[in-house]
Amino acid sequence: MSDWITYRLVDFLMFSPRVYYRLVERYNHDVWPLQIIFIAGGLFVLMLAVRRKNRAIAFPALAIAWAFCAWQFLWMRYAVINWPVSYAAAAFLLQAGLIVVSIRPAGAPPPAVRLYGGIGLMLLGLIAYPLLAPFAGRSIASAESFGLMPDPTATTTLGAVLALSPKPPWLLLPIPLLWCAVSGLTLWALQDPGAWVPFASIVATLALVLLSRR
Amino acid sequence: MIITRRATVQGLGLGALLPLMPRLALGQPANLVSRPIPSSGELMPVVGLGTWITFNVGDDPVLKDECAAVLAAFFESGGRMVDSSPMYGSSQPTIGYGLRKLRYPERLFSAEKVWISDPTRGTAQIEASRAYWGVETFDLMQVHNLVSWEEHLPALFEMKASGQIRYVGITTSEGRRHREIERVMASEPIDFVQITYNILDREVEERILPLAKEKGIGVIVNRPFRQKRLIRQFEDEPLPAWLDETGALSWAQFLLKFIISHPAVTCAIPATTRVDHVRENLEAATGILPDERSRRRMVDYVEAL
Repeated sequence: MSDWITYRLVDFLMFSPRVYYRLVERYNHDVWPLQIIFIAGGLFVLMLAVRRKNRAIAFPALAIAWAFCAWQFLWMRYAVINWPVSYAAAAFLLQAGLIVVSIRPAGAPPPAVRLYGGIGLMLLGLIAYPLLAPFAGRSIASAESFGLMPDPTATTTLGAVLALSPKPPWLLLPIPLLWCAVSGLTLWALQDPGAWVPFASIVATLALVLLSRR
Repeated sequence: MIITRRATVQGLGLGALLPLMPRLALGQPANLVSRPIPSSGELMPVVGLGTWITFNVGDDPVLKDECAAVLAAFFESGGRMVDSSPMYGSSQPTIGYGLRKLRYPERLFSAEKVWISDPTRGTAQIEASRAYWGVETFDLMQVHNLVSWEEHLPALFEMKASGQIRYVGITTSEGRRHREIERVMASEPIDFVQITYNILDREVEERILPLAKEKGIGVIVNRPFRQKRLIRQFEDEPLPAWLDETGALSWAQFLLKFIISHPAVTCAIPATTRVDHVRENLEAATGILPDERSRRRMVDYVEAL
């Protein structure tokens, strides 16, 4: 145990920023134009939330996003340079399964604060995330989009389940929140200017859950 | 267009003979300072090549070629020891890619590690590593970070006795578990110990380096630049006016020469992604090395910065 306290965050980083962002660029190139299709699917889920429609239609889209991200990015690509991510791939598949089993035909609308806050988080995941790359000083080719990359997928999902579930969706929160923490720490170790965004997703989610319980 | 021997052989319809071609004769290497491996007397240039982070490039063809170029420059400059581990992500296949491109230079000294807590799976892991490198046998097999060393070491000694590896070692980094390292060094017939040592992390000078000298154990030094942080820390500072007495021409060489001038050190293994840096590192193993008085001056100088 005393050994572990001697490690710093950067000691767990086994790849360089250049290798990681080239990996993302090559992935984006390989799967184009799925970015547009996934974002369109995410906007469809957002529209269902805005119109307070049945989440039974929305959740399968989220499950597909998690499963695709687990398979194509985490397992096939990211785990090659960062072997602990193979466990994250399993967790993402589990999250896809949890989303599927959480599908319910109907339910009362959530409290307004959770609905609008959730929509805000979805906008962050669907629209703002792909634009972060240039703001972080990276090429737009390394943009991260919902369904393909884990961070926007987690943020969009947190927003969607908050905005679509009548009660706090406890079952669907742990994995995306845990991923946001892992990703934020990784980006921090990579000295990426966007490292604060996954932490912001965590804070916003917890705040919305707490506020809507009042 | 340069006509290569490969093109000539293929042009003559003798492609089947390609595997029989002698290995690529790399240019005459510089005369590097070398030290004998204590347990065998085999000479080892005092600067090798680490692969932590730098060779973990996945299947990116551009980056794999860059790593292959680093390997080529390393061998051209006279380097021998290349060190890796199953823990280093895709570094092992990247090394294998580079070595295949270079047709396995004869001077390669392959240093690998076994890193698995279940000792029954050690042999399978070593075999997987061997397949990634594409070598027939490893020269050195080390127990990474002392993971299950009580179980792995007997197996490695058996492999050494049967000729599957030539040397056995243990590793740690950043000053961890030094008491346990000392215990293994004192009680087991290992050939190498790998530790962290640099101009600011000198704890090993107290006990481990003298013990290595006493027991005839070779010393491999990892993190000579604290993963680049020492270079960044000092690069904007002036080099000392008495630089001549160290034989260094740059901060990287200053830091490396401090390490390799310790008489117990067999080889330091800086990692890099750049050809110019690997050449600069190996150049540190040429010319003079600082003596004891200069080494003390070097420490005083950097600690005053």
